[in-house]
Amino acid sequence: MTLFRLSHSFDPVSGLQELQRELDRVFERSAGVGSGLSGRGVFPPVNIFSDKDGYVVRVEIPGVDPAQLTIETNGRTLTIAGKRDVSAPAGGSFHRRERGSGEFSRSLQLPDDLDAGRAEASYQLGILTVRVPKREEAKPRQITVTSV
Amino acid sequence: MSSQELNVRNKQEVSGAEHTRAGRAYVPDVDICENNDSLWLWADMPGVDEKSIEVKLADGVLSIEGQVSLKEYDSLSPLYTEYNIGNFARRFTVSNDIDAEHIQARMANGVLTVELPKAARAKPRRIPVSLA
Repeated sequence: MTLFRLSHSFDPVSGLQELQRELDRVFERSAGVGSGLSGRGVFPPVNIFSDKDGYVVRVEIPGVDPAQLTIETNGRTLTIAGKRDVSAPAGGSFHRRERGSGEFSRSLQLPDDLDAGRAEASYQLGILTVRVPKREEAKPRQITVTSV
Repeated sequence: MSSQELNVRNKQEVSGAEHTRAGRAYVPDVDICENNDSLWLWADMPGVDEKSIEVKLADGVLSIEGQVSLKEYDSLSPLYTEYNIGNFARRFTVSNDIDAEHIQARMANGVLTVELPKAARAKPRRIPVSLA
């Protein structure tokens, strides 16, 4: 697997383009490959990233009451479920209706070296972020060389 | 399990006029609703906070533009992607007479809500019929 890192000084102008390029590249690479994640086209769409501590799953589900979101882990399976309601004023008639509403549920199979039991979730600006840390023994370690 | 199935709508890039800002912009999904008093608009713009959004009404064109925050992506490497990330932009021609002074917009959980109150002259009025 190729390793790469987005620039650390993330300036907003080139930063967005750089991020979009990286996402496109990964999208092409994982399209059609039996990566174990064949859920493309299932709501909600997910992006999966890695950082030094583990995996970061980012899901765009705007306009959801966080209390309506259920994040569960069962062994290696992470399940994201919830309900999205769209509001309407009384006595109104719709000219456009593009935003979907209803219930959703999606499960992801996580690799073995992650500790699903220690997953943490947060919801901000309409994006759900689930952080799943690596198991301690799977984390990279630096071994000090001692002189005898 | 649910009465209504949620479908994934792939993000569409904004076509037509080019933007002065670098990077791709996407078209947000919107609902538009009208009642006697106002025109309401909701736009899904995940990743946009209230400081990075611009709502403008000029010459009968309502434009909404939002910049996504990228700081969350610092130090993350993508492994698998189903959606791309970009700014949001969309324009609408507003035919109603709008009371521009009293437009209200707010942002919550990645959803922009704009209320455009109709100008008094554009509101439907009931004309009383008197007996001659």
